[in-house]
Amino acid sequence: MIVGIMQSMVAVLIVIFACGIYFNFFDIQTSLNAAVESLYLHILALFVFGFFSIISGLFLVHEWLESR
Amino acid sequence: MKTKRELGLFNTVIMGLSGAIGFEIFVLLDYAYFHLAGSSIVSALLLAGLINLLIMFSYCELGAAMPEVGGEYTYIKTAYGGYIAFISGCFRWLASVFAAALAAVCFTQQLAYLFSLFVPEIESFMLAQMPLIAIAVVIILATSEIKGAKKPGIFIVFAFIAIFAIFIASGLLRELTPLEILPKQPLEGLPGVFAATVYMFPMFFGMRALIASAAFIKHPGKNVPKGILLSALLIIPLYASIAYVATGVIPLEETRPPAPFLNLAAENVLPGVGGALFAIAGMVASLSALGTSLTVQSSIARGMSRDGYLPKVLLSIHRRFGTPYVAIIAGSLFIMVLSAIGAVEFLGYAASFGSLLVFALVNLSLLKLRKKKPYMERPFKTPLYPFTPIAGVIMSVTLLVFPMFLRDVNAASALVSGIGLTTLVLMTYYLRMMGRYRLQIAIGGVGLGIGVSLVLLTCLSEACFVSPILPYIPSYIILVISAISIIAGILNATAHG
Repeated sequence: MIVGIMQSMVAVLIVIFACGIYFNFFDIQTSLNAAVESLYLHILALFVFGFFSIISGLFLVHEWLESR
Repeated sequence: MKTKRELGLFNTVIMGLSGAIGFEIFVLLDYAYFHLAGSSIVSALLLAGLINLLIMFSYCELGAAMPEVGGEYTYIKTAYGGYIAFISGCFRWLASVFAAALAAVCFTQQLAYLFSLFVPEIESFMLAQMPLIAIAVVIILATSEIKGAKKPGIFIVFAFIAIFAIFIASGLLRELTPLEILPKQPLEGLPGVFAATVYMFPMFFGMRALIASAAFIKHPGKNVPKGILLSALLIIPLYASIAYVATGVIPLEETRPPAPFLNLAAENVLPGVGGALFAIAGMVASLSALGTSLTVQSSIARGMSRDGYLPKVLLSIHRRFGTPYVAIIAGSLFIMVLSAIGAVEFLGYAASFGSLLVFALVNLSLLKLRKKKPYMERPFKTPLYPFTPIAGVIMSVTLLVFPMFLRDVNAASALVSGIGLTTLVLMTYYLRMMGRYRLQIAIGGVGLGIGVSLVLLTCLSEACFVSPILPYIPSYIILVISAISIIAGILNATAHG
Protein backbone atom coordinates (compact mmCIF):
# COMPACT_ATOMS: atom_id res chain seq x y z
CA MET A 1 0.00 0.00 0.00
CA ILE A 2 2.80 2.41 0.97
CA VAL A 3 4.62 1.73 -2.30
CA GLY A 4 1.39 2.28 -4.23
CA ILE A 5 0.64 5.60 -2.54
CA MET A 6 4.27 6.74 -2.89
CA GLN A 7 4.36 5.84 -6.55
CA SER A 8 1.05 7.59 -7.28
CA MET A 9 2.12 10.71 -5.38
CA VAL A 10 5.49 10.87 -7.13
CA ALA A 11 3.70 10.33 -10.46
CA VAL A 12 1.26 13.17 -9.75
CA LEU A 13 4.23 15.43 -8.94
CA ILE A 14 5.89 14.39 -12.21
CA VAL A 15 2.73 15.22 -14.18
CA ILE A 16 2.44 18.60 -12.40
CA PHE A 17 6.11 19.25 -13.18
CA ALA A 18 5.51 18.37 -16.85
CA CYS A 19 2.49 20.71 -16.93
CA GLY A 20 4.62 23.40 -15.31
CA ILE A 21 7.24 23.08 -18.04
CA TYR A 22 4.62 22.99 -20.80
CA PHE A 23 2.74 26.07 -19.62
CA ASN A 24 6.00 27.70 -18.51
CA PHE A 25 4.81 28.50 -14.98
CA PHE A 26 7.15 30.92 -13.18
CA ASP A 27 9.31 31.02 -16.32
CA ILE A 28 10.44 27.49 -15.54
CA GLN A 29 11.67 26.79 -19.09
CA THR A 30 14.32 29.49 -18.82
CA SER A 31 15.40 28.46 -15.33
CA LEU A 32 15.80 24.82 -16.45
CA ASN A 33 18.01 26.02 -19.29
CA ALA A 34 17.03 23.06 -21.48
CA ALA A 35 17.20 23.05 -25.29
CA VAL A 36 13.80 23.92 -26.80
CA GLU A 37 13.91 21.04 -29.30
CA SER A 38 14.41 18.44 -26.55
CA LEU A 39 11.98 20.10 -24.14
CA TYR A 40 8.82 18.73 -25.76
CA LEU A 41 10.30 15.24 -25.89
CA HIS A 42 11.06 15.51 -22.17
CA ILE A 43 7.52 16.73 -21.46
CA LEU A 44 6.08 13.78 -23.41
CA ALA A 45 8.35 11.32 -21.57
CA LEU A 46 7.38 12.82 -18.20
CA PHE A 47 3.66 12.68 -19.06
CA VAL A 48 3.80 9.06 -20.25
CA PHE A 49 5.86 7.94 -17.27
CA GLY A 50 3.66 9.93 -14.88
CA PHE A 51 0.34 8.55 -16.11
CA PHE A 52 1.77 5.06 -16.29
CA SER A 53 3.03 5.31 -12.70
CA ILE A 54 -0.33 6.66 -11.47
CA ILE A 55 -2.09 3.58 -12.88
CA SER A 56 0.58 1.27 -11.46
CA GLY A 57 0.33 2.88 -8.01
CA LEU A 58 -3.46 2.81 -8.02
CA PHE A 59 -3.41 -0.89 -8.91
CA LEU A 60 -1.35 -1.58 -5.77
CA VAL A 61 -3.65 0.54 -3.60
CA HIS A 62 -6.71 -1.17 -5.10
CA GLU A 63 -5.22 -4.60 -4.44
CA TRP A 64 -4.50 -3.66 -0.84
CA LEU A 65 -8.07 -2.38 -0.38
CA GLU A 66 -9.46 -5.62 -1.86
CA SER A 67 -7.32 -7.79 0.44
CA ARG A 68 -8.61 -6.05 3.60
CA MET B 1 -39.93 -6.29 -24.58
CA LYS B 2 -41.24 -5.40 -28.04
CA THR B 3 -41.56 -1.69 -28.85
CA LYS B 4 -44.87 -0.31 -30.07
CA ARG B 5 -44.87 0.95 -33.67
CA GLU B 6 -47.07 4.02 -33.76
CA LEU B 7 -45.35 6.62 -35.99
CA GLY B 8 -46.71 7.12 -39.51
CA LEU B 9 -44.99 8.72 -42.52
CA PHE B 10 -45.84 12.29 -41.46
CA ASN B 11 -44.33 11.81 -38.01
CA THR B 12 -41.36 10.03 -39.56
CA VAL B 13 -40.62 13.04 -41.78
CA ILE B 14 -41.09 15.39 -38.82
CA MET B 15 -38.64 13.27 -36.84
CA GLY B 16 -36.07 13.52 -39.65
CA LEU B 17 -36.62 17.28 -39.87
CA SER B 18 -36.47 17.81 -36.12
CA GLY B 19 -33.13 15.97 -36.12
CA ALA B 20 -31.72 17.88 -39.08
CA ILE B 21 -33.01 21.39 -38.30
CA GLY B 22 -30.66 22.37 -35.56
CA PHE B 23 -28.22 24.86 -34.14
CA GLU B 24 -25.47 24.02 -36.66
CA ILE B 25 -26.68 26.50 -39.27
CA PHE B 26 -26.39 29.30 -36.71
CA VAL B 27 -22.74 28.59 -36.02
CA LEU B 28 -21.10 26.79 -38.94
CA LEU B 29 -21.78 29.21 -41.80
CA ASP B 30 -19.36 31.90 -40.50
CA TYR B 31 -16.05 30.11 -40.94
CA ALA B 32 -17.17 28.41 -44.15
CA TYR B 33 -18.17 31.74 -45.69
CA PHE B 34 -15.36 34.02 -44.53
CA HIS B 35 -12.42 31.60 -44.61
CA LEU B 36 -13.15 28.65 -46.86
CA ALA B 37 -15.58 29.03 -49.74
CA GLY B 38 -16.99 32.56 -49.88
CA SER B 39 -20.35 32.68 -51.63
CA SER B 40 -19.69 29.16 -52.95
CA ILE B 41 -20.96 27.90 -49.60
CA VAL B 42 -24.29 27.47 -51.41
CA SER B 43 -22.65 24.88 -53.69
CA ALA B 44 -20.80 23.40 -50.72
CA LEU B 45 -24.11 23.03 -48.85
CA LEU B 46 -25.81 21.38 -51.84
CA LEU B 47 -22.87 19.01 -52.16
CA ALA B 48 -22.95 18.19 -48.43
CA GLY B 49 -26.68 17.53 -48.63
CA LEU B 50 -26.35 15.30 -51.68
CA ILE B 51 -23.48 13.28 -50.17
CA ASN B 52 -25.52 12.92 -46.99
CA LEU B 53 -28.46 11.68 -49.07
CA LEU B 54 -26.19 9.16 -50.80
CA ILE B 55 -25.01 7.84 -47.44
CA MET B 56 -28.57 7.81 -46.11
CA PHE B 57 -29.54 5.26 -48.80
CA SER B 58 -27.38 2.72 -46.96
CA TYR B 59 -28.99 3.78 -43.70
CA CYS B 60 -32.41 3.26 -45.31
CA GLU B 61 -31.65 -0.31 -46.36
CA LEU B 62 -30.14 -1.25 -43.02
CA GLY B 63 -32.74 0.67 -41.00
CA ALA B 64 -35.60 -1.06 -42.83
CA ALA B 65 -33.97 -4.52 -42.58
CA MET B 66 -32.98 -4.14 -38.91
CA PRO B 67 -35.45 -1.75 -37.34
CA GLU B 68 -34.34 -2.68 -33.80
CA VAL B 69 -33.18 -0.04 -31.34
CA GLY B 70 -29.47 0.73 -31.69
CA GLY B 71 -29.05 2.18 -35.19
CA GLU B 72 -25.50 2.16 -36.57
CA TYR B 73 -24.16 0.18 -33.64
CA THR B 74 -26.55 -2.70 -34.43
CA TYR B 75 -25.79 -2.71 -38.19
CA ILE B 76 -22.04 -2.68 -37.71
CA LYS B 77 -22.22 -5.29 -34.97
CA THR B 78 -24.26 -7.62 -37.24
CA ALA B 79 -21.80 -7.14 -40.09
CA TYR B 80 -18.43 -7.09 -38.38
CA GLY B 81 -18.96 -8.20 -34.80
CA GLY B 82 -18.17 -6.54 -31.52
CA TYR B 83 -14.73 -5.07 -32.12
CA ILE B 84 -15.62 -2.81 -35.06
CA ALA B 85 -19.01 -2.06 -33.48
CA PHE B 86 -17.20 -0.90 -30.36
CA ILE B 87 -14.99 1.42 -32.44
CA SER B 88 -18.02 2.80 -34.27
CA GLY B 89 -19.87 3.25 -30.97
CA CYS B 90 -16.92 5.22 -29.61
CA PHE B 91 -16.78 7.47 -32.68
CA ARG B 92 -20.52 8.01 -32.54
CA TRP B 93 -20.18 8.86 -28.85
CA LEU B 94 -17.32 11.25 -29.55
CA ALA B 95 -19.26 12.91 -32.38
CA SER B 96 -22.20 13.43 -29.99
CA VAL B 97 -19.91 14.88 -27.34
CA PHE B 98 -18.23 17.25 -29.83
CA ALA B 99 -21.63 18.27 -31.21
CA ALA B 100 -22.90 18.93 -27.67
CA ALA B 101 -19.86 21.10 -26.92
CA LEU B 102 -20.46 22.98 -30.18
CA ALA B 103 -24.09 23.51 -29.14
CA ALA B 104 -23.00 24.95 -25.79
CA VAL B 105 -20.60 27.34 -27.55
CA CYS B 106 -23.34 28.32 -30.05
CA PHE B 107 -25.73 29.06 -27.18
CA THR B 108 -23.15 31.35 -25.57
CA GLN B 109 -22.50 33.17 -28.85
CA GLN B 110 -26.20 33.72 -29.45
CA LEU B 111 -26.75 34.84 -25.86
CA ALA B 112 -23.90 37.35 -26.16
CA TYR B 113 -25.35 38.61 -29.44
CA LEU B 114 -28.86 38.95 -27.96
CA PHE B 115 -27.55 40.94 -25.00
CA SER B 116 -25.44 43.10 -27.32
CA LEU B 117 -28.63 44.24 -29.09
CA PHE B 118 -29.80 45.87 -25.87
CA VAL B 119 -26.53 46.59 -24.03
CA PRO B 120 -23.72 46.67 -26.66
CA GLU B 121 -20.95 46.90 -24.04
CA ILE B 122 -21.86 43.52 -22.59
CA GLU B 123 -21.02 41.45 -25.70
CA SER B 124 -17.23 41.56 -25.30
CA PHE B 125 -17.58 40.73 -21.60
CA MET B 126 -19.81 37.75 -22.36
CA LEU B 127 -17.54 36.50 -25.12
CA ALA B 128 -14.60 36.74 -22.72
CA GLN B 129 -16.54 34.67 -20.17
CA MET B 130 -17.58 32.14 -22.83
CA PRO B 131 -15.91 29.09 -21.19
CA LEU B 132 -17.68 29.71 -17.87
CA ILE B 133 -21.06 30.33 -19.50
CA ALA B 134 -20.69 27.24 -21.68
CA ILE B 135 -19.82 25.10 -18.64
CA ALA B 136 -22.78 26.55 -16.71
CA VAL B 137 -25.11 25.73 -19.62
CA VAL B 138 -23.85 22.13 -19.75
CA ILE B 139 -24.30 21.73 -15.98
CA ILE B 140 -27.87 23.07 -16.12
CA LEU B 141 -28.79 20.88 -19.10
CA ALA B 142 -27.15 17.78 -17.55
CA THR B 143 -29.11 18.38 -14.33
CA SER B 144 -32.37 18.69 -16.25
CA GLU B 145 -31.51 15.53 -18.23
CA ILE B 146 -30.90 13.66 -14.98
CA LYS B 147 -34.26 14.92 -13.73
CA GLY B 148 -35.79 13.55 -16.96
CA ALA B 149 -36.69 16.76 -18.81
CA LYS B 150 -39.22 16.47 -21.61
CA LYS B 151 -38.06 17.21 -25.17
CA PRO B 152 -39.66 20.04 -27.12
CA GLY B 153 -42.48 18.80 -29.34
CA ILE B 154 -42.93 19.01 -33.07
CA PHE B 155 -44.13 22.62 -32.80
CA ILE B 156 -40.50 23.66 -32.65
CA VAL B 157 -39.87 22.16 -36.11
CA PHE B 158 -42.73 24.17 -37.57
CA ALA B 159 -41.58 27.31 -35.74
CA PHE B 160 -38.11 26.97 -37.25
CA ILE B 161 -39.42 26.29 -40.74
CA ALA B 162 -41.67 29.35 -40.42
CA ILE B 163 -38.79 31.60 -39.26
CA PHE B 164 -36.52 30.37 -42.05
CA ALA B 165 -39.31 30.71 -44.64
CA ILE B 166 -39.93 34.34 -43.60
CA PHE B 167 -36.19 35.02 -43.78
CA ILE B 168 -35.84 33.47 -47.25
CA ALA B 169 -39.01 35.15 -48.64
CA SER B 170 -38.03 38.57 -47.24
CA GLY B 171 -34.51 38.15 -48.55
CA LEU B 172 -35.63 37.17 -52.02
CA LEU B 173 -38.05 40.10 -52.15
CA ARG B 174 -35.15 42.44 -51.49
CA GLU B 175 -32.66 43.15 -54.21
CA LEU B 176 -29.87 40.75 -53.36
CA THR B 177 -26.31 41.31 -54.52
CA PRO B 178 -25.82 38.99 -57.53
CA LEU B 179 -24.06 35.94 -56.22
CA GLU B 180 -21.40 33.74 -57.70
CA ILE B 181 -22.72 30.62 -56.07
CA LEU B 182 -20.92 28.18 -58.32
CA PRO B 183 -17.34 27.33 -57.28
CA LYS B 184 -15.66 29.59 -59.82
CA GLN B 185 -13.79 32.00 -57.62
CA PRO B 186 -13.94 30.62 -54.11
CA LEU B 187 -11.56 31.95 -51.50
CA GLU B 188 -9.35 28.88 -51.44
CA GLY B 189 -10.15 27.32 -54.81
CA LEU B 190 -11.97 24.03 -55.21
CA PRO B 191 -10.33 22.54 -52.07
CA GLY B 192 -11.94 25.42 -50.14
CA VAL B 193 -15.38 24.36 -51.37
CA PHE B 194 -14.71 20.76 -50.35
CA ALA B 195 -13.35 21.87 -46.98
CA ALA B 196 -16.52 23.93 -46.48
CA THR B 197 -18.56 20.85 -47.44
CA VAL B 198 -16.82 18.84 -44.70
CA TYR B 199 -17.12 21.65 -42.23
CA MET B 200 -20.86 22.17 -42.81
CA PHE B 201 -21.62 18.45 -43.06
CA PRO B 202 -22.87 18.22 -39.42
CA MET B 203 -25.88 20.33 -40.49
CA PHE B 204 -27.37 17.22 -42.09
CA PHE B 205 -26.29 14.58 -39.57
CA GLY B 206 -29.38 14.98 -37.45
CA MET B 207 -31.44 13.19 -40.07
CA ARG B 208 -30.10 9.97 -38.57
CA ALA B 209 -32.46 10.53 -35.64
CA LEU B 210 -35.11 9.01 -37.87
CA ILE B 211 -33.11 5.79 -38.29
CA ALA B 212 -32.48 5.51 -34.57
CA SER B 213 -36.24 5.61 -34.03
CA ALA B 214 -37.03 3.05 -36.75
CA ALA B 215 -38.25 0.68 -34.04
CA PHE B 216 -41.24 2.98 -33.39
CA ILE B 217 -42.20 3.55 -37.05
CA LYS B 218 -45.14 1.77 -38.70
CA HIS B 219 -44.22 -0.22 -41.84
CA PRO B 220 -40.52 0.65 -41.48
CA GLY B 221 -39.72 -0.96 -44.82
CA LYS B 222 -41.68 1.76 -46.62
CA ASN B 223 -41.79 4.66 -44.20
CA VAL B 224 -38.11 4.82 -43.20
CA PRO B 225 -36.74 5.27 -46.77
CA LYS B 226 -39.60 7.61 -47.71
CA GLY B 227 -39.09 9.63 -44.53
CA ILE B 228 -35.36 9.99 -45.17
CA LEU B 229 -35.83 11.04 -48.79
CA LEU B 230 -38.58 13.54 -48.00
CA SER B 231 -36.64 15.06 -45.11
CA ALA B 232 -33.55 15.40 -47.31
CA LEU B 233 -35.58 16.95 -50.15
CA LEU B 234 -36.94 19.54 -47.72
CA ILE B 235 -33.76 20.25 -45.79
CA ILE B 236 -31.25 20.59 -48.64
CA PRO B 237 -33.11 23.38 -50.53
CA LEU B 238 -34.03 25.06 -47.23
CA TYR B 239 -30.41 25.33 -46.06
CA ALA B 240 -29.13 26.26 -49.52
CA SER B 241 -31.74 29.04 -49.74
CA ILE B 242 -30.81 30.38 -46.29
CA ALA B 243 -27.14 30.45 -47.30
CA TYR B 244 -28.05 32.08 -50.64
CA VAL B 245 -29.99 34.90 -48.94
CA ALA B 246 -27.42 35.35 -46.16
CA THR B 247 -24.47 35.59 -48.56
CA GLY B 248 -26.50 37.94 -50.71
CA VAL B 249 -27.07 40.49 -47.96
CA ILE B 250 -23.71 40.27 -46.19
CA PRO B 251 -20.84 41.09 -48.57
CA LEU B 252 -17.64 39.12 -48.25
CA GLU B 253 -15.39 41.56 -46.42
CA GLU B 254 -11.70 41.21 -45.70
CA THR B 255 -12.36 40.86 -42.00
CA ARG B 256 -14.89 38.59 -40.39
CA PRO B 257 -17.49 40.54 -38.38
CA PRO B 258 -17.59 39.81 -34.63
CA ALA B 259 -21.32 38.99 -34.61
CA PRO B 260 -22.63 35.66 -35.95
CA PHE B 261 -23.04 35.78 -39.74
CA LEU B 262 -26.62 34.50 -39.91
CA ASN B 263 -27.78 36.93 -37.21
CA LEU B 264 -26.26 39.84 -39.15
CA ALA B 265 -28.02 38.65 -42.29
CA ALA B 266 -31.32 38.39 -40.38
CA GLU B 267 -30.76 41.90 -39.00
CA ASN B 268 -30.42 43.15 -42.60
CA VAL B 269 -33.33 41.20 -44.04
CA LEU B 270 -35.74 41.76 -41.16
CA PRO B 271 -34.65 45.07 -39.60
CA GLY B 272 -35.49 45.47 -35.92
CA VAL B 273 -36.55 41.93 -35.13
CA GLY B 274 -34.51 39.61 -37.36
CA GLY B 275 -31.31 39.53 -35.30
CA ALA B 276 -33.09 38.96 -32.00
CA LEU B 277 -35.46 36.38 -33.54
CA PHE B 278 -32.55 34.38 -34.94
CA ALA B 279 -30.63 34.70 -31.66
CA ILE B 280 -33.60 33.26 -29.73
CA ALA B 281 -34.05 30.55 -32.36
CA GLY B 282 -30.33 29.76 -32.17
CA MET B 283 -30.46 29.52 -28.38
CA VAL B 284 -33.53 27.27 -28.43
CA ALA B 285 -31.93 25.06 -31.10
CA SER B 286 -28.65 24.86 -29.14
CA LEU B 287 -30.38 23.90 -25.90
CA SER B 288 -32.51 21.32 -27.69
CA ALA B 289 -29.44 19.86 -29.45
CA LEU B 290 -27.44 19.84 -26.24
CA GLY B 291 -30.21 17.92 -24.47
CA THR B 292 -30.53 15.46 -27.36
CA SER B 293 -26.75 14.94 -27.54
CA LEU B 294 -26.62 14.27 -23.80
CA THR B 295 -29.33 11.63 -24.22
CA VAL B 296 -27.68 10.12 -27.32
CA GLN B 297 -24.21 9.93 -25.77
CA SER B 298 -25.58 8.37 -22.59
CA SER B 299 -27.56 5.75 -24.53
CA ILE B 300 -24.47 4.87 -26.63
CA ALA B 301 -22.32 4.61 -23.50
CA ARG B 302 -24.94 2.41 -21.81
CA GLY B 303 -25.21 0.21 -24.91
CA MET B 304 -21.46 -0.39 -24.91
CA SER B 305 -21.49 -0.89 -21.16
CA ARG B 306 -24.27 -3.49 -21.52
CA ASP B 307 -22.09 -5.33 -24.06
CA GLY B 308 -19.22 -5.34 -21.57
CA TYR B 309 -16.93 -2.85 -23.33
CA LEU B 310 -17.29 -0.09 -20.75
CA PRO B 311 -17.64 -0.24 -16.94
CA LYS B 312 -21.03 -1.46 -15.68
CA VAL B 313 -21.35 1.62 -13.49
CA LEU B 314 -22.52 3.52 -16.59
CA LEU B 315 -25.73 1.48 -16.49
CA SER B 316 -26.70 2.94 -13.10
CA ILE B 317 -30.17 4.46 -13.01
CA HIS B 318 -31.14 7.30 -10.68
CA ARG B 319 -33.42 6.02 -7.89
CA ARG B 320 -35.77 8.98 -7.97
CA PHE B 321 -35.76 10.15 -11.59
CA GLY B 322 -35.12 6.83 -13.35
CA THR B 323 -32.48 8.37 -15.66
CA PRO B 324 -28.95 7.10 -16.48
CA TYR B 325 -27.27 9.71 -14.30
CA VAL B 326 -23.74 8.24 -14.27
CA ALA B 327 -23.58 8.08 -18.09
CA ILE B 328 -24.98 11.64 -18.31
CA ILE B 329 -22.49 13.01 -15.76
CA ALA B 330 -19.54 11.19 -17.41
CA GLY B 331 -20.41 12.61 -20.84
CA SER B 332 -21.13 16.06 -19.39
CA LEU B 333 -17.62 16.26 -17.95
CA PHE B 334 -16.12 15.75 -21.41
CA ILE B 335 -18.57 18.23 -22.92
CA MET B 336 -17.68 20.84 -20.30
CA VAL B 337 -13.95 20.57 -21.03
CA LEU B 338 -14.53 20.76 -24.80
CA SER B 339 -16.99 23.63 -24.61
CA ALA B 340 -14.61 25.59 -22.36
CA ILE B 341 -12.09 25.49 -25.24
CA GLY B 342 -14.67 27.42 -27.24
CA ALA B 343 -13.00 26.72 -30.59
CA VAL B 344 -15.97 26.51 -32.95
CA GLU B 345 -13.88 25.61 -36.01
CA PHE B 346 -12.12 22.75 -34.23
CA LEU B 347 -15.37 21.39 -32.75
CA GLY B 348 -17.13 21.61 -36.13
CA TYR B 349 -14.47 19.57 -37.88
CA ALA B 350 -14.16 17.11 -34.98
CA ALA B 351 -17.93 16.41 -34.93
CA SER B 352 -17.82 15.96 -38.70
CA PHE B 353 -14.83 13.58 -38.67
CA GLY B 354 -16.35 11.29 -36.02
CA SER B 355 -19.60 10.96 -37.95
CA LEU B 356 -17.86 10.53 -41.31
CA LEU B 357 -15.96 7.54 -39.96
CA VAL B 358 -19.22 6.00 -38.74
CA PHE B 359 -20.79 6.70 -42.16
CA ALA B 360 -17.94 4.87 -43.89
CA LEU B 361 -18.39 1.90 -41.53
CA VAL B 362 -22.17 1.81 -42.12
CA ASN B 363 -21.63 1.69 -45.90
CA LEU B 364 -19.02 -1.05 -45.49
CA SER B 365 -21.50 -2.94 -43.28
CA LEU B 366 -24.09 -2.82 -46.05
CA LEU B 367 -21.59 -4.29 -48.53
CA LYS B 368 -20.60 -6.99 -46.05
CA LEU B 369 -24.20 -7.91 -45.12
CA ARG B 370 -25.25 -8.25 -48.76
CA LYS B 371 -22.62 -11.01 -49.04
CA LYS B 372 -22.88 -12.43 -45.53
CA LYS B 373 -26.69 -12.53 -45.34
CA PRO B 374 -27.98 -12.55 -48.94
CA TYR B 375 -31.40 -13.92 -47.93
CA MET B 376 -32.02 -11.38 -45.19
CA GLU B 377 -35.38 -9.65 -45.61
CA ARG B 378 -34.74 -6.20 -47.12
CA PRO B 379 -37.94 -4.16 -47.52
CA PHE B 380 -35.84 -1.39 -49.15
CA LYS B 381 -32.81 -1.96 -51.32
CA THR B 382 -30.22 0.72 -51.98
CA PRO B 383 -30.45 1.78 -55.65
CA LEU B 384 -27.48 1.19 -57.98
CA TYR B 385 -25.88 -1.35 -55.63
CA PRO B 386 -22.86 -1.73 -55.16
CA PHE B 387 -21.96 1.72 -56.53
CA THR B 388 -24.01 3.66 -53.96
CA PRO B 389 -22.39 2.22 -50.80
CA ILE B 390 -18.94 2.22 -52.45
CA ALA B 391 -19.46 5.88 -53.36
CA GLY B 392 -20.59 6.45 -49.76
CA VAL B 393 -17.34 4.97 -48.41
CA ILE B 394 -15.19 6.89 -50.91
CA MET B 395 -16.97 10.19 -50.24
CA SER B 396 -16.73 9.77 -46.46
CA VAL B 397 -13.00 9.04 -46.58
CA THR B 398 -12.35 11.75 -49.19
CA LEU B 399 -14.15 14.35 -47.11
CA LEU B 400 -12.03 13.33 -44.14
CA VAL B 401 -8.76 14.08 -45.90
CA PHE B 402 -9.75 17.01 -48.12
CA PRO B 403 -9.24 19.82 -45.60
CA MET B 404 -5.68 18.56 -45.21
CA PHE B 405 -4.90 19.62 -48.79
CA LEU B 406 -5.97 23.10 -47.79
CA ARG B 407 -3.62 22.92 -44.79
CA ASP B 408 -6.45 24.06 -42.57
CA VAL B 409 -5.02 24.23 -39.05
CA ASN B 410 -8.40 23.55 -37.43
CA ALA B 411 -8.96 20.47 -39.57
CA ALA B 412 -5.42 19.25 -38.86
CA SER B 413 -5.97 19.68 -35.08
CA ALA B 414 -9.28 17.84 -35.31
CA LEU B 415 -7.71 15.00 -37.31
CA VAL B 416 -4.72 14.69 -34.96
CA SER B 417 -7.12 14.68 -31.98
CA GLY B 418 -9.18 12.07 -33.83
CA ILE B 419 -6.13 9.83 -34.34
CA GLY B 420 -5.17 10.26 -30.68
CA LEU B 421 -8.69 9.40 -29.54
CA THR B 422 -8.77 6.39 -31.90
CA THR B 423 -5.58 5.12 -30.27
CA LEU B 424 -7.17 5.65 -26.88
CA VAL B 425 -10.31 3.79 -28.02
CA LEU B 426 -8.28 0.81 -29.26
CA MET B 427 -6.23 0.76 -26.07
CA THR B 428 -9.41 0.85 -23.98
CA TYR B 429 -10.82 -2.07 -25.95
CA TYR B 430 -7.73 -4.22 -25.53
CA LEU B 431 -7.32 -3.30 -21.88
CA ARG B 432 -10.97 -4.04 -21.18
CA MET B 433 -10.83 -7.37 -22.98
CA MET B 434 -7.53 -8.26 -21.30
CA GLY B 435 -8.92 -8.31 -17.76
CA ARG B 436 -7.63 -6.47 -14.72
CA TYR B 437 -5.03 -8.92 -13.42
CA ARG B 438 -3.38 -9.49 -16.77
CA LEU B 439 -3.25 -5.73 -17.21
CA GLN B 440 -1.76 -5.28 -13.73
CA ILE B 441 0.93 -7.86 -14.48
CA ALA B 442 1.69 -6.18 -17.83
CA ILE B 443 1.96 -2.76 -16.20
CA GLY B 444 4.13 -4.25 -13.48
CA GLY B 445 6.47 -5.70 -16.12
CA VAL B 446 6.73 -2.42 -17.97
CA GLY B 447 7.26 -0.50 -14.71
CA LEU B 448 10.04 -2.89 -13.76
CA GLY B 449 11.65 -2.47 -17.18
CA ILE B 450 11.46 1.33 -17.04
CA GLY B 451 12.86 1.39 -13.49
CA VAL B 452 15.83 -0.83 -14.37
CA SER B 453 16.50 1.15 -17.58
CA LEU B 454 16.44 4.44 -15.66
CA VAL B 455 18.93 3.09 -13.09
CA LEU B 456 21.25 1.88 -15.84
CA LEU B 457 21.06 5.12 -17.82
CA THR B 458 21.63 7.23 -14.70
CA CYS B 459 24.70 5.15 -13.75
CA LEU B 460 26.06 5.42 -17.29
CA SER B 461 25.49 9.20 -17.39
CA GLU B 462 27.20 9.56 -13.98
CA ALA B 463 30.17 7.65 -15.44
CA CYS B 464 30.02 10.08 -18.42
CA PHE B 465 29.35 7.31 -20.96
CA VAL B 466 26.08 8.87 -22.10
CA SER B 467 24.56 12.35 -21.81
CA PRO B 468 22.11 12.85 -18.91
CA ILE B 469 18.51 11.87 -19.65
CA LEU B 470 16.86 14.75 -17.81
CA PRO B 471 19.75 17.16 -17.09
CA TYR B 472 17.67 19.40 -14.83
CA ILE B 473 16.64 16.60 -12.45
CA PRO B 474 19.36 15.49 -9.99
CA SER B 475 20.55 11.88 -10.38
CA TYR B 476 19.63 10.87 -6.82
CA ILE B 477 15.96 11.87 -7.42
CA ILE B 478 15.89 9.80 -10.61
CA LEU B 479 17.37 6.86 -8.67
CA VAL B 480 14.74 7.16 -5.91
CA ILE B 481 11.93 7.30 -8.51
CA SER B 482 13.47 4.29 -10.31
CA ALA B 483 13.63 2.33 -7.04
CA ILE B 484 9.94 3.02 -6.36
CA SER B 485 9.10 2.03 -9.94
CA ILE B 486 11.08 -1.24 -9.62
CA ILE B 487 9.45 -2.20 -6.30
CA ALA B 488 5.96 -1.30 -7.56
CA GLY B 489 6.71 -3.18 -10.80
CA ILE B 490 7.68 -6.34 -8.89
CA LEU B 491 4.57 -6.07 -6.67
CA ASN B 492 2.28 -5.58 -9.65
CA ALA B 493 3.94 -8.30 -11.73
CA THR B 494 3.50 -10.81 -8.90
CA ALA B 495 -0.14 -9.83 -8.22
CA HIS B 496 -2.49 -12.78 -7.59
CA GLY B 497 -5.55 -13.13 -9.78
